Amino acid sequence: MKSDPRNYSSSSSQLIRKTIAHILLISGAVFMVIPFVWSITTSFKALNQVFTTPPFHIPFPIDFSSYKEVLESISFAKYFFNTTKVALLVTLGQLLTSSLAGYAFARLKFPGRNFLFMAYLSTMMIPAVVTLIPNFVIMRNFGWVDTHYALIIPFLGSAYGTFLMRQFFLGMPSDLEDAAKLDGCNPLQFYLHILIPNSKPILATFGLMTFQWVWNDFQWPLIIINSDQNRTLQVGLAFLQNVNYTEWNVLMAASVMAILPIIILFLIAQKSFVQSIKLTGLKG
Amino acid sequence: MKISNKHAESLWGYLFILPSFALILIFVLYPVLSGVWYSLTEWNMISEPAFVGMANYSKIFNDGLALTTFSNTVVYTFLSVPIGICISLLLAVSLNQKIRGLPFYRTAYYLPVITSSVAVAIVFRWILDSNYGLLNQGLAIIGIDPIRWLLDPDIALYSLILVSVWRSLGLNLIIYLAALQDIPKDLYDAASIDGAGSIQSFFRITLPLVTPALFFTSITGVIGSFQAFDLVYNMTEGGPGHSTYLIGYYIWKQAFDYSRMGYGAALAFILFLVILVLTLVQWYARKSWVFGED
Repeated sequence: MKSDPRNYSSSSSQLIRKTIAHILLISGAVFMVIPFVWSITTSFKALNQVFTTPPFHIPFPIDFSSYKEVLESISFAKYFFNTTKVALLVTLGQLLTSSLAGYAFARLKFPGRNFLFMAYLSTMMIPAVVTLIPNFVIMRNFGWVDTHYALIIPFLGSAYGTFLMRQFFLGMPSDLEDAAKLDGCNPLQFYLHILIPNSKPILATFGLMTFQWVWNDFQWPLIIINSDQNRTLQVGLAFLQNVNYTEWNVLMAASVMAILPIIILFLIAQKSFVQSIKLTGLKG
Repeated sequence: MKISNKHAESLWGYLFILPSFALILIFVLYPVLSGVWYSLTEWNMISEPAFVGMANYSKIFNDGLALTTFSNTVVYTFLSVPIGICISLLLAVSLNQKIRGLPFYRTAYYLPVITSSVAVAIVFRWILDSNYGLLNQGLAIIGIDPIRWLLDPDIALYSLILVSVWRSLGLNLIIYLAALQDIPKDLYDAASIDGAGSIQSFFRITLPLVTPALFFTSITGVIGSFQAFDLVYNMTEGGPGHSTYLIGYYIWKQAFDYSRMGYGAALAFILFLVILVLTLVQWYARKSWVFGED
């Protein structure tokens, strides 16, 4: 057997390449993860320990007082409940309206379909900041300022979700639909009994995306909600800064509690999350 | 029979798009139009809106702070977006070499993306704290004097850029990784048979084939950065001085803090035009650099 000298050199250069890659990736990952680690270690300290102990050291016995203070100084449980409620309802609503419209655009023929679809696409280019003031005025005219209606109803439709669903439904084999038509299924029956049960991956992906987005949304709830009892988590977290501006242990405890649900969700359903990002990127 | 089937299908079609169409009409399309109307009025939400023509728009050009916020926003966007793109591309290429620990890296880089901007802002306010912050503690070890990251008007904007880059890396990374994984391996084999080195392969094969992904992230990155609000509100409130006043924050301030709805709407509309122009420029320029678009 002839040995190719290039093979040897290429495997050694590959080794160098992989080593450099690992160094880059590890230093990047450290940079990514350290803020989380530091938030957690800080949250388990008493305030005086925050400034006197080494950064990543958790003193023994662990000090839970900052978590206790979060629960005492803001209505954390109330915010948590409000946010969960709003995020769940918006997610369900978007899934319903987007899958219905996505199905119509992908599979049903009706006059003006392409024009309407282009109209949907063009609304995706409108920056949120442009509709901020007018939507506030609409909420005011409806009498919805400082209510959860304002956090839910304007967000029940999604051009992006419709687009995503349409792309997915376009890719589904049409035999199912033909068979259903022969059996005398109308479009609603097809949607309920065949389409939805066969679209769980895309529904899960889009649902997670929406839930996370609503959970983390800040500017709109900040503007539209005034009362403590209707407040959402992110706004509550931001307001905590006003009273505890440099009580870092308390601020970190609140931050950890505010992001934990999404992180747990992410760790459970990582595949769907990553899929959602790929979809976001590829359908540009 | 056939015709009535067709009619029925159209009816179902309209019925199915009705809910989402009505919502988008009321909460996206109508607001764009009414926003234009508000921008031509003076309105404090107590009295009725008073038509003032183009007064709000001409006021913008005489409003020194508005111009400062626009220029801050330009600096913020044109540094954070390209820096974020370059670093994440480098990481994605590293990650694409059949490397071990892919799930770990993916999780690590993706955590910041799903973390709320408010929490990110608070945590970085702590990391960038001049006296006790982690960054200055780290720098002290290698003998660098404390830097006033968020308190020095010459530095604060760059600190915000740092945070924004930190937060965007994972998103770009996953998008680029997907694009890289779609590149057929044969292309590299063919190139190496032709004697191309790895640097040549990168510039001749890898880079051209990820340009569609780069294009996408650059468009969405610019649109997002121009509207940045959460970090400013929660980290600096535009300060010190006006050094981190970004346009998204200024619009909120005018409309919801000072109740100048007309002026806020005019600023928002100008911002819309700027974003639109930048998107169109990128759209038409794509032919010169995005693969498959010429």
